Amino acid sequence: MLSKSWAAFFVAMPFTVGAADIQWSLQQATLTYRVSNPLHQVEGVSHAARGKGLCQAGQCSFLVAVPVKSFDSGDSNRDLHMIQDVRGGQFPMVTVRFHLSEAVISQPTIPVDLDVEFAGQTAHYKQAAFQKAMQGSDARISGTIPAKMSDFKIEPPSLLAIPTKDEIPVRVDMIWRPM
Amino acid sequence: MLLRVAKFVRGEALPVLALLIFSAAVQAQTAGTLSGTVTGPSGAAVSNARVAVKNLATGQSTEALTDAFGVYHVSDLAPGEYEVSVSAENAGAKTAQVTLAAGTAQKLDLVVAAGTEPSLGDLGFTPDQTQGSAQDQARLDRRSHMLRTHQRLGLITMAPLVATLIASNGAAGRNSTASGRELHAALGGVTAGMYFTTASFAIFAPKIAGSPTRGPIRVHKALAWIHGPGMVLTPILGALAYNQRSNGEKVHGIASAHGAVAATTAIAYGLAVLSVSIRF
Repeated sequence: MLSKSWAAFFVAMPFTVGAADIQWSLQQATLTYRVSNPLHQVEGVSHAARGKGLCQAGQCSFLVAVPVKSFDSGDSNRDLHMIQDVRGGQFPMVTVRFHLSEAVISQPTIPVDLDVEFAGQTAHYKQAAFQKAMQGSDARISGTIPAKMSDFKIEPPSLLAIPTKDEIPVRVDMIWRPM
Repeated sequence: MLLRVAKFVRGEALPVLALLIFSAAVQAQTAGTLSGTVTGPSGAAVSNARVAVKNLATGQSTEALTDAFGVYHVSDLAPGEYEVSVSAENAGAKTAQVTLAAGTAQKLDLVVAAGTEPSLGDLGFTPDQTQGSAQDQARLDRRSHMLRTHQRLGLITMAPLVATLIASNGAAGRNSTASGRELHAALGGVTAGMYFTTASFAIFAPKIAGSPTRGPIRVHKALAWIHGPGMVLTPILGALAYNQRSNGEKVHGIASAHGAVAATTAIAYGLAVLSVSIRF
């Protein structure tokens, strides 16, 4: 009986250790937020996101982080006002955490529960749908985070006394590589 | 009294001082250092890991944090057996033992197990990038507040500026009257006062390091090099012209440039306002 248990342990061990070693590394990312006002629309783009995923026992934990000040809307004055509005001096990073099973990662459409930390607040977005396309061994993931300013207690900025819309959707385009 | 002090110094203080200096010198010679790199299983440096070095004989512990490259360094360690333990955010702990010989620089690299959750440290961001402060936010708040005031005052200043330009009809040429010149000069004074007040809010607003100027604000700032000197020159030339007219003379010399300088200044100012008002 004892020898059977040991045999089972040694057979199972390599798979367990192998699963724990799988990591994903974010190779490229483009994050684009959009702020809308009836009079104007602004997009800010960042390519400075970094990310990592650790998989263990079939479950993967991912973290993507991007400095608030890395978003460029084409106007440095507006960007600095934006950083001030979103309390970027005190909370300089935006982080996104999500957990996936390895089985889900292999699907072309990945529903993800996201925890987004921004401006000192954490918001949860359930079942945000991301599309996956394989590029060799890399996985290209794209989708939109349906963020709102009110989720992070951000006062919407105004243009000629007209406040911007509450919605600030963030379009995400990432390339992940298994390590 | 002095004799007793000298005797004390020779007899007791000097030997004690010599002993202290000798002890310090011996300690400096025998103290060792421990350094190394903390890495994860993939070989990536683990930054901000806490490295505790405990002397197993005395129980005394010294701590250090790894830098952005995973490097730690602990100095002034007496020779002996040490337990080195590493803990990092969201990574496995690691403990190792090391013997430190007198006066040596011992190296000990440590590999910690991967955690189940990636951390900001894993992503290679520096603490400068990830840690904000209330002071940084207060600086941004102050900057935004001053620039919004600058923007509002700038718009309000347009009113006396336009009024001054309109009043110039009664101050120059055939229609010139003493009261017209007085009104024009008074409005010009108000405009200049408001202009410099407006400018001061932009000039003294806190600067934010690492934020290069991009977009329409470049045009706005470039135009300031025209309307700024213009706003200094226009009242000076205006005062000269005013005196010449009040003395019954025709405006002549450099004062005759007052109108052209004022018009150029007003146009540059108007464009500066427009450059940041069209978009938000």
